Amino acid sequence: MSDVEYHPSVQTRAVLNADPRLSKFDPLPRIIYHDDFNNGLRGWVELIGNYEDSLDSMLPEYADMRPPMLSSGTHWDTGTHGAMHGTYSLKLATRPRAGDISVSIKRVTWRHRGPIRLEAYFTFKPEASELQLAVNDVRAIGVLFDLQDDEYRWMPHWRYLNAMAGAPVRKWQFKRKREPLQTIGGRDETVSHFHLAPSGWEDVPNANQELCYNEIATKYNWYYLRMDLDLATRQITHLQCNDRIHDTTDVTPMMIPAMPNLYCMLNVAFWVETDIDKRAFLYVDSVLLSGAW
Amino acid sequence: MLRESYTAIVERSQGLSHQFATEPYECGWASEAIFFVRTLETEGDIAGAILRVQISPDGIRWRDEGTSLTLTDDEVDFCKVRHFGNWLRVVGELPDGARMKAIIALSLKA
Repeated sequence: MSDVEYHPSVQTRAVLNADPRLSKFDPLPRIIYHDDFNNGLRGWVELIGNYEDSLDSMLPEYADMRPPMLSSGTHWDTGTHGAMHGTYSLKLATRPRAGDISVSIKRVTWRHRGPIRLEAYFTFKPEASELQLAVNDVRAIGVLFDLQDDEYRWMPHWRYLNAMAGAPVRKWQFKRKREPLQTIGGRDETVSHFHLAPSGWEDVPNANQELCYNEIATKYNWYYLRMDLDLATRQITHLQCNDRIHDTTDVTPMMIPAMPNLYCMLNVAFWVETDIDKRAFLYVDSVLLSGAW
Repeated sequence: MLRESYTAIVERSQGLSHQFATEPYECGWASEAIFFVRTLETEGDIAGAILRVQISPDGIRWRDEGTSLTLTDDEVDFCKVRHFGNWLRVVGELPDGARMKAIIALSLKA
């Protein structure tokens, strides 16, 4: 069931429209979760790498992905910006170090192997520590799924590469290239791979998109994001940001043979990466994951 | 209404030495906080070193809040703070030659 095939009834749409928190979404029939960060962090947690016996056994890229915050979007010049809906949003913040990444994840499992849809309202900004446009300071933001069925662990990755080495890029990209699995610790029980590594990203069709950055770092405009998957066919079926919809025919996920202890996994993660020695922030006003069954 | 609470691990097992500061943590929704410092590894003598709580109007500029904790030989030290605005961090300084790895947890409650 793709977006083309699913049209909610007039009654269903009326129920959604009656709630301003839901009316801005187009969910599939079942809402798996709807997180409005005016009500806490709601299960979104810092991603941490696997380890055995010692934290030092972790792949170094995973050692410090920073805890998420509830942000009121408060600035030195204008005070509290607030969120799109209410005061608080989920905030991810990097360290002020070029290439640093902050990742937050929510972990559930699936009960039906069918279509699912992730929707979110988000924005991103560099720290407002300079009186400059700073439009190329955030390198990338992205969203990924980490999924497993009886045969495969598969990981759709989708990012907006805003800038690289100080130059504007403004492209949506995906990644199907696998990173090597590495054994962690000494008991041969745990492996890890840094799937957000900078290599292997490919442009999605019609990749270029200019977003409404606005004119200084303390002005936020919120964007809509939607990513549909079919858990049955392991396909990415829809990628959309605001009015831009990408052809997903040749957009595929990372595929890994099924691993122990991950059955029915349905994880979603957001991340932000800074391009310079300045903190980069990703804000998520609200997120909704829905499914069809 | 149940009181919201959240614990953020603001520092985890990174090597700390000389002067250091935790990353800014935005927590204006909370009205009380505890910084817990769990020492994992040490080199040299860290007992007696002081960590100071700092607050900020914007997450960029910082001043001492007045609360501090003194590291001891115990595994866990802590300090409590209230009425802190929108951001918190701790700064510290270890003696020359001293290093530590720690988990610094910021426990927040609405």
